[in-house]
Amino acid sequence: MATLTEAATTRRSARRVRRPRVRAAPYLFVAPFILVFAAFSAYPIFFALQLSFTNWHGAGALEIIGFANYRYLLTSPDFWQSMATSGVLWLLVVPAQVLLALTIAVALRKARFRGLFSAALIAPFVTPLVAMAQVWIILFDQDFGAVNHGLSSIGLPTIGWLTTSAGAKVTVALLVLWRTTGYAVILLMAGLSTIPADVYEAARIDGAGAWQQFWSITVPLVTRTLSFVVVIGTLTVFQLFAEPYVVTGGGPFNATRTAGLYLYKHITNSDLGLGAANSMLLVVMVLALSLASIRLLRSREDS
Amino acid sequence: MTTQLSHPLSRRTLFRGAGAALVAGGLGACAPGNTTGGDPLPSSSATEPPSGEITIWDRTGDLYKVFDKAIASFTAKYPQVKVNHVAVDINAKLPATLISGAGVPDGAFYDDALLTGVAPHLHDLSQLIEQYKSDIAPYKLGVVTVDGKVVAVPWDLDPGLLFYREDIVAQAGVDPTKLATYDDLLGAARTVQQRFPQARPIHLENDQFLAQLWIDMFANQQGGAMVDAQGKLTLDSDPYRTTLTWLDTVRSQGLGTLAKYTQPTDLQTQDNGTQVFVPWAQWFVFAPQQLLKASKGKWRATALPAWQAGGARAGVMGGSSFVIPAKAKNPELAWRLYEHLVFSKEGYTTVYGQNDVYPGGLNTSIPSYLPALDPDQPLFKTIDALGGQDLWKVAVEAGKQVPGGYTIPTWWGKAVDYFGVNVQKMLAGRMSPDEVLKTSASQIQKNLMGPN
Repeated sequence: MATLTEAATTRRSARRVRRPRVRAAPYLFVAPFILVFAAFSAYPIFFALQLSFTNWHGAGALEIIGFANYRYLLTSPDFWQSMATSGVLWLLVVPAQVLLALTIAVALRKARFRGLFSAALIAPFVTPLVAMAQVWIILFDQDFGAVNHGLSSIGLPTIGWLTTSAGAKVTVALLVLWRTTGYAVILLMAGLSTIPADVYEAARIDGAGAWQQFWSITVPLVTRTLSFVVVIGTLTVFQLFAEPYVVTGGGPFNATRTAGLYLYKHITNSDLGLGAANSMLLVVMVLALSLASIRLLRSREDS
Repeated sequence: MTTQLSHPLSRRTLFRGAGAALVAGGLGACAPGNTTGGDPLPSSSATEPPSGEITIWDRTGDLYKVFDKAIASFTAKYPQVKVNHVAVDINAKLPATLISGAGVPDGAFYDDALLTGVAPHLHDLSQLIEQYKSDIAPYKLGVVTVDGKVVAVPWDLDPGLLFYREDIVAQAGVDPTKLATYDDLLGAARTVQQRFPQARPIHLENDQFLAQLWIDMFANQQGGAMVDAQGKLTLDSDPYRTTLTWLDTVRSQGLGTLAKYTQPTDLQTQDNGTQVFVPWAQWFVFAPQQLLKASKGKWRATALPAWQAGGARAGVMGGSSFVIPAKAKNPELAWRLYEHLVFSKEGYTTVYGQNDVYPGGLNTSIPSYLPALDPDQPLFKTIDALGGQDLWKVAVEAGKQVPGGYTIPTWWGKAVDYFGVNVQKMLAGRMSPDEVLKTSASQIQKNLMGPN
């Protein structure tokens, strides 16, 4: 028994001896990041979480009201309408963006002057939104807009682009598409450039046509980039604020009041507790949607 | 809770939906538990010339330039004062700044309709305003008073007027001086339409925020408001029902042009003669002066029609005031500046007088300070874009008829999501006036006046 105890003690001592010394240097190097992250990311998140359980309006002491904000939002038609609006915009924007961006990226893969095309594609992304929104308002005006003028000149009925619920959603979606597709193209071009040329060569030798190559090589090998594009698109749509704010003001009839715009309303109204709860719900929903999108794409990659 | 300044010391035009972007990284500054405002402020001796430095926010655009010149008249008078005059998207920035407490200005221009929403973050100016109370338009004094405290220095008055196309009205044989009631206006619209079949003579506002503001003007004209003096909801009432019924008649009889103020459809239809009558605030005059082309010089202004024969011929649409945040570093000095701009002849004459932006003077509103409202002492010149009309006289006469006793509820801006949107639906033929009032009242009661 004593022998066993001595042996165990010896092993423990040996382990203590072998344990590496903790060095301070790595921690010192990462400390600036940790501090900045704590101050500007972690603290605001925890503060927002704390706020979401209060009815704070920006003044006075915090009064804890439990889950009242969450209950209010989850039973509020306005909240669900804003989520539904963002959902519809997601359906209008993200699939179209992926399809468009992938098509353009593949088309540009062998094109000359790729740098020039890339610059042209990124231009909408860096154009001041307010200026573009004003152009959009003029283009899509019900009575005097160029779009309706074009439609009527070829005998088609005009559309209430800014005056009907459905039309306004499409108008906002088109602006988002116009602004963000170029960015997605750049990402996908980077993704495509990592696919080795000999994979395509082998497929050609095996008799694969262009469509087969695209569907069986390009899409699976660029899935990770596509996942990233979808996640970025999802985040963009659910945080969408500036486009509907400037072009439609959230109208007509609140038809373009997105989740981001609805959240902004709470902040504007100094309903900071409600706004914080809304943002927490938004985080959960966007996270779920992003993960579902990734899983869907990954399952395609795995298969 | 507004903060009391302990001792007395001694715009424009286009309303936009209010907004406040949350300032990233500024949360540390809005530590909860801070009360609005600090200790009672020391009084400055009226005999001692003011000195120090203040930061003043004004709305970006024409008004910034107007006030820049007016502020120069203050600093010329008091050279020891330095004013940092900053052009800011106030509706977007001020609420967040007041909450965060970071970079708070000493004074800021702010829309009256949004005052109640930020009132807890402002100084109580009641004692300072006391000496001027009897000289302020009653309507204006009402809107800057929140919970019995004056929370802003009242600036302009924006009486509603009836703007009309003089050339078209004359060709149709309509006498604008005979438009005494809104029924007369309907009749005039029909007459114009008979003469010009493509005309949809009466403007119908399609922006939800502006539509609410616009309808409140009509309600104010009838002595109504969304809430009574006790704060009880009075939306579902005769003034609003009468207004909405009239607007619905305009819509259903094809007598109106549905458009958003100053958006392409609005400007085009005003220029091409589709719109002939625009019952709107005085600040509509900006459009003929700056935006309209073909119809420039063809517009005129007259008093609004009355809702009943002999009734009030004016209501107010919009307006702005100056606020002094509770967290301002130098509130006394900000007060001195605003006192100069609003209540001194030199100040208001400079504000409304000629400048680079308005060579004939600022004519989009009139002062709310009654001694400034002499019909025979115009602060701005006659307006070429109105065919040389003396708008000052028309506006001053209207301004004096504005009913007082108007209360802006704290949730006025939030109500746009309900009342403003439902009005939009009515003007699209999707709701009746009664449905708008009943639904809006119920939504406002539940969402804005309930426990949350």
